[in-house]
Amino acid sequence: MKPDDIIESYVDEVVRFLPRRQRSDVGFELRSLLKEDLEGRAAESGRPVDAQATLELLTAFGSPQDVADRYRPAGFTIIRPSNAPRFAWLALGGMALIWAVTLPVSLFGPSQIAGWEYGADAWWGRLIVWWWGAGLGAFWWPGFLFTLTLIAALFERRRGEAKPWTPPRRMDRGPVTRVGMALALAFWTTGAALLIALPWLSVWAPGLPQSVLDAFLFDPEFLTWRAPWILMIWATHFAVYIAVLVVGRWSPLATRISLLVGVGFLGLIAWWLLAGPIFSALVTDGTVKPLLALIALIVVIDIVATVRRSAGAIRPPVA
Amino acid sequence: MTYCVALCNVPRMVDEQLEQSGKLEQDLRKGVLVLAVLSQLTTQQYGYSLRQALIERGMPIEEGTLYPLLRRLEGQGLLQSEWLVDGGPPRRYYVLSADGNRIYQDLTVAWGSLTTVVNRLLQEEN
Repeated sequence: MKPDDIIESYVDEVVRFLPRRQRSDVGFELRSLLKEDLEGRAAESGRPVDAQATLELLTAFGSPQDVADRYRPAGFTIIRPSNAPRFAWLALGGMALIWAVTLPVSLFGPSQIAGWEYGADAWWGRLIVWWWGAGLGAFWWPGFLFTLTLIAALFERRRGEAKPWTPPRRMDRGPVTRVGMALALAFWTTGAALLIALPWLSVWAPGLPQSVLDAFLFDPEFLTWRAPWILMIWATHFAVYIAVLVVGRWSPLATRISLLVGVGFLGLIAWWLLAGPIFSALVTDGTVKPLLALIALIVVIDIVATVRRSAGAIRPPVA
Repeated sequence: MTYCVALCNVPRMVDEQLEQSGKLEQDLRKGVLVLAVLSQLTTQQYGYSLRQALIERGMPIEEGTLYPLLRRLEGQGLLQSEWLVDGGPPRRYYVLSADGNRIYQDLTVAWGSLTTVVNRLLQEEN
């Protein structure tokens, strides 16, 4: 191969990674500089300008993509180094959670495919169905997180310089507002009581039209197997909130228990969403499930905010 | 066996130290690269001639670093350039712009004070 051809192909490769408007100008200059460098090196070393000398020069110059990177102005950071471990945990943890919930449902729950007899009920058949459904589908979560991070980074970049740090309005986040908390607890208890009483709607509201009663009829399988777990989660949450209300502040233990309950609640919602119908009526089921997904998102935000707050605890070093 | 484990690791540790020292020196040089380049562009130069000028003055910079740097500095408004034909092939000549000249003066002052402080620190240490 001729040295000129090697340089030509190298320069073509470099400019391929550059913006279109720069390609011609940079390409022309780079080609001319590389040829001159090559001749200079040959003159200094007394070697002929051959393919080997050309490859040595280009190897020292760098891979075409590296060189193209150097021509571009410094980019912007999408995931900051300080956020990278947290991002990785959140992305992989979320996926693990989705898998942990959906895999047992797929393996041990009712078979979700029709018209495929061979292996449909065997463990490997269920595994295949799971992988091509929720298993592979779980990759939406890191993608979703990354898209949000990218949008946040773009906004931050547009905003320019970061705002100077200011101390938070409430320095001590431990104490709670008792009145607000009592109101929230009352509201939440009423909601929970209504939901618990919903299966007996026809008993305590017999005057309602049959169509309304039918609309709020739970799926029998959901009611038997998937619903009762919520009672445990509600009871634990209720106990924690009462304790916090009495003491007047969030202790580290109460925060930890609340976090665990939150994660459990998240898992339960995921199970409910993926395992089958919640209500017998399709319309009600189709309305309630997006609302549950929204609640799950709020729980995720709450968990992230709580972890961020409690991660700030500084302990003295152990000698 | 224990001796071997201890002794066999010595060359690797030396290599790692040398590599680390090389990287740190590279970082140090990176910091002064822009100033070195600006210092040579009070008169028009093209990429290859600038590199030769820097080598002659004891500041070799790899081609792969220097040529893109010139473009980036031009993009930042520190340099201006034009294509000239001077008996040979067309070459792109770079020179300090008005902004580049001002920044070069500022950097020179900053460099002077930095070297004074660092020299003092090193002398005190020694």
